[in-house]
Amino acid sequence: MSSSAHARMNCGEFRSTYIQDTTIFPTPLARRTAIAAVIFLLLAPTFLNSYFLNLGIQVGYYGIAALGLNIVVGFTGQISLGHAAFFGFGAFASAWLNNVTGLPVFFCIPLAGVMTMAVGLIVGIPAGRIKGLYLAIATLASQYILEDFFSRADWFTGGAYGAMANPFSIFGFEFNNDQRYWYVVLFYVVLMFLFGTNLLRTRDGRAFIAVRDHYLSAEIMGINLTKYRILSFGISSFYAGVGGALFGHYLGFVSAEGFTLLLSIQFLGMIIIGGMGSVQGTLMGTAFMVLLPELMEGGVGLFGHGSSGLMQALAYIKEMSIGLAIILFLIFEPDGLAHRWKMIKAYWKLYPFSY
Amino acid sequence: MRKSIILGSLLVASLAFAGSALAADTIPVGHLAAYTGPTSGVGIPFGNGIDDALAYINKHGGINGKQIKYKTVDYSYNAPRAVATYKKWMSSLKPVAIQGWGTADTEALVKFIAKDKVAYISASYSGHLTDPTGKGPKSKSAAPYNFFYGPSYSDACRGLVQWAADDWKAKGKSGKPKFIHMGDNHPYPNAPKAACAAYAKELGFEVLPSIVYSLKPADAKAQCLSLKDSGANYAYLANTSSSNISLLKSCSTVGVKTQFLTNIWGWDENSIKATGAAGDGIAWVVGAATWKDDAPGMKTLREVSKMSDPSGKKSRMLHYIRGVCGTFLMKEAMLKADAMGAITGENIKKGFESMRNFVPAGLEGVCSPSTWTAEDHRGMNLVNVYTSKYNGGDFKMTKLATVEVPRRPEWLGW
Repeated sequence: MSSSAHARMNCGEFRSTYIQDTTIFPTPLARRTAIAAVIFLLLAPTFLNSYFLNLGIQVGYYGIAALGLNIVVGFTGQISLGHAAFFGFGAFASAWLNNVTGLPVFFCIPLAGVMTMAVGLIVGIPAGRIKGLYLAIATLASQYILEDFFSRADWFTGGAYGAMANPFSIFGFEFNNDQRYWYVVLFYVVLMFLFGTNLLRTRDGRAFIAVRDHYLSAEIMGINLTKYRILSFGISSFYAGVGGALFGHYLGFVSAEGFTLLLSIQFLGMIIIGGMGSVQGTLMGTAFMVLLPELMEGGVGLFGHGSSGLMQALAYIKEMSIGLAIILFLIFEPDGLAHRWKMIKAYWKLYPFSY
Repeated sequence: MRKSIILGSLLVASLAFAGSALAADTIPVGHLAAYTGPTSGVGIPFGNGIDDALAYINKHGGINGKQIKYKTVDYSYNAPRAVATYKKWMSSLKPVAIQGWGTADTEALVKFIAKDKVAYISASYSGHLTDPTGKGPKSKSAAPYNFFYGPSYSDACRGLVQWAADDWKAKGKSGKPKFIHMGDNHPYPNAPKAACAAYAKELGFEVLPSIVYSLKPADAKAQCLSLKDSGANYAYLANTSSSNISLLKSCSTVGVKTQFLTNIWGWDENSIKATGAAGDGIAWVVGAATWKDDAPGMKTLREVSKMSDPSGKKSRMLHYIRGVCGTFLMKEAMLKADAMGAITGENIKKGFESMRNFVPAGLEGVCSPSTWTAEDHRGMNLVNVYTSKYNGGDFKMTKLATVEVPRRPEWLGW
């Protein structure tokens, strides 16, 4: 936090208290920019068409889930290959709560997050004891166990047929189109990202980072490793659950097919591309992953028409482009887009005296 | 200078007008295809049939001069992706009709299309899509805007079971024959499971607990051993052809002697070649003419095929031909809608519902006659049962029977 904050500090800006040093936005300009961005996003439905809003909504719900994964992978140093299953659990849980109890969707989304958190805490128990490759396999198992559960638990998920999810509504007002749902997702994005940023400034958040950086030192300092590892899984699942619930109510239909290992890998791709351990980077990585296939589709559309071979290969091209992007980032920019962004800012700050 | 500005603005205005006039004269249609994913083996020929038929219709005057503006999206047999594509279309393309694919996604979209009033012609023949009013006692929900070309999966399976009962008698066997359903735990293989089992019981079969095998082609020796142990006489394979190829090969290795039955997507020319002798004698449902048939409508079909194969040499699969039939039926429904005043989803639906023993113009002898009413969307109740024999390099298809499945009211939507 501190090194990056200093890099963004204007000359002549001095901090004399801890409170000033732990502020979310390092400079007034950064704060004003963030507020302006939110205002801009609030007005977006007036000038963006449904297609772009749809992409923005996707960035929103995937971004929330990806931030959850970043908390467990980027901040606590654990690994999870089962994030898509938690994302799916949240979607099913919210649909189930709404369909069975009749509780308004407004309440179902956070409750689904809590239910997913409970499942995440259970899965997190082995995480407290094992690490590395063993943990990767354990979380992979949770992915498959949950996928199997989705296709069998008729009472909860509608089995292989999937479940219908009603639109988000408050007092009978339905957020059933892209223009309206945009605000629901935006509200959750702002809330969850603020919460995420704040979490990392708390005692628990710093404990996560200590566990990641050197678990032995952390333990010597009195940090309960098991507790914090499980806790990070729980919080991560809460994020996945909320993201999944938003996804379910947006699509109106939840099916087990949507939450495969491939999506788990994509979540990992989002945080690798965005930047491990960066809240801001998570959103950048998610946007990258959502927009890349669309760009590919546009590119293929320019060259191929109708039933030509290129159009029929589009699905493969989209998936390959994601794989390629992950590999290229791992080689050339392992710290992700967030790091690149910092470098760009530093460059202009010092320009033309780069030394 | 001023003159050129006026001329320029006039040109721009006329172009804009022409553009809007062009937009008004097109009919937006979505095509949801499965060119990749576990069902692509049958999805590719079927989707190609639709694309070629749409191109052919446009080339020959469209719908009373209006061109069909269609968009093909490959959704890889992933139901959530299909729903997402549908949502995207509704905000940009605004289709009046959609040529769809799988059971899971078509059933997921039932309520959406009914609300948006979009005629939906699927490649899913699930019995759940046949009840427009939702009054059937076993109906899942009302599906007023859903149509498909062919007997429903449930009726096709009932037809096969009826054939199996006759086969059992014809072979002079006594006692209760054993029937088993095999398929993946997925909406498509599951669609006829309960309905078909109930009818099999009614016809005197002993129905065994079903066996699950993957929709993605994989070694299925374990399943074949279970099948062998069960002692089933008739096994209904509910997956698509590529999955069935691997199952039949595995079962041949294990030495299973069961008579296999399969649905309309479960077997085709390619699978006969790929499976070889292991697939001999399978009984399956065929819903249209074959490429080698000599029917009056074959001339049109060959012209349609030339849209993507100008040489005309390519031999088209059964699925391709059914894709063409479904698209031409949509065209006829659109013509009827146009006669009603406007080509809207609602009028296309009415167009379909006015068809009685209907064969699309130009495809006589290729597509089987279909009937839809406002109360009943079971387009067909005749089930053509075929069998195939592999003779080293070539194959032979023989018709075993045409079974008429009763149109019972309590079976509507099941």
